Amino acid sequence: MNGLVAAIPADPTPAQVLPKNFLRPCLLLLLREHPAHGYDLLERLRPLGFSRDDPGRLYRALRALETDELVRSIWEKSSSGPDRRMYELTRKGMEELHDSATALMATDEILKIFLSRYSEFVALDPPARSRSRRGSD
Amino acid sequence: MSMDELEVLRVRDELLQAMYWMHSEGISSAPTAIELSRFLAVPDTILTAYLTRFVEDGLLEGSGGRYVLTDSGTESGKRTFADEMADLTRPTHGECDADCWCHDSPEAAAECLHERVGGSHSG
Repeated sequence: MNGLVAAIPADPTPAQVLPKNFLRPCLLLLLREHPAHGYDLLERLRPLGFSRDDPGRLYRALRALETDELVRSIWEKSSSGPDRRMYELTRKGMEELHDSATALMATDEILKIFLSRYSEFVALDPPARSRSRRGSD
Repeated sequence: MSMDELEVLRVRDELLQAMYWMHSEGISSAPTAIELSRFLAVPDTILTAYLTRFVEDGLLEGSGGRYVLTDSGTESGKRTFADEMADLTRPTHGECDADCWCHDSPEAAAECLHERVGGSHSG
């Protein structure tokens, strides 16, 4: 592969076709909504197209965000188990989130053009309906 | 196989922190070498040698192919997490004083100088 062509699986999951490094702005967004533990972030990433099956990816992403000072974490005492890391957004993280959102808006415009032109040939169903129809075949 | 002791320290901190995080988030309290290698995105063949070493050092207990933090390993994993955060608030090289991190060791001084020359250091 020459690096310009992404390997798209035959039946891709949402996470496999999302923009590269999409996890990063997603985490910043979730932490903009409110500070959170790792497990909570894993759960809240699902509607954004990420599986819960790779907590290591989340852990490494959080570490990278912390190293880049976009996120900071503190210990939260627990009376019923081990202390947990609570993550929150920094000012720098808020700025990067805004830049990412702006870039994603531009991507969204391009995708709309693509889908509009494709719809000249085929009318697409929303993903959930397509899946249920396929399952009933 | 002889190990570079600085590398052992680096891997030890990384591994114990990761295992503490997995434990505290309820993901796994007794991961296998394969699970840890996936979690940290490193080859399990490399990680296994370190796991053996950390069992010998009393930081981990290994049983049935699974690894658990000992009390000492737990304390170390939690402490290094906090220490790393402290690093972020330390002065950078341009703000050097007697307490600057670049005085911690010859390696730290070399790294600081390298970063400064490379332009990535904010000092």
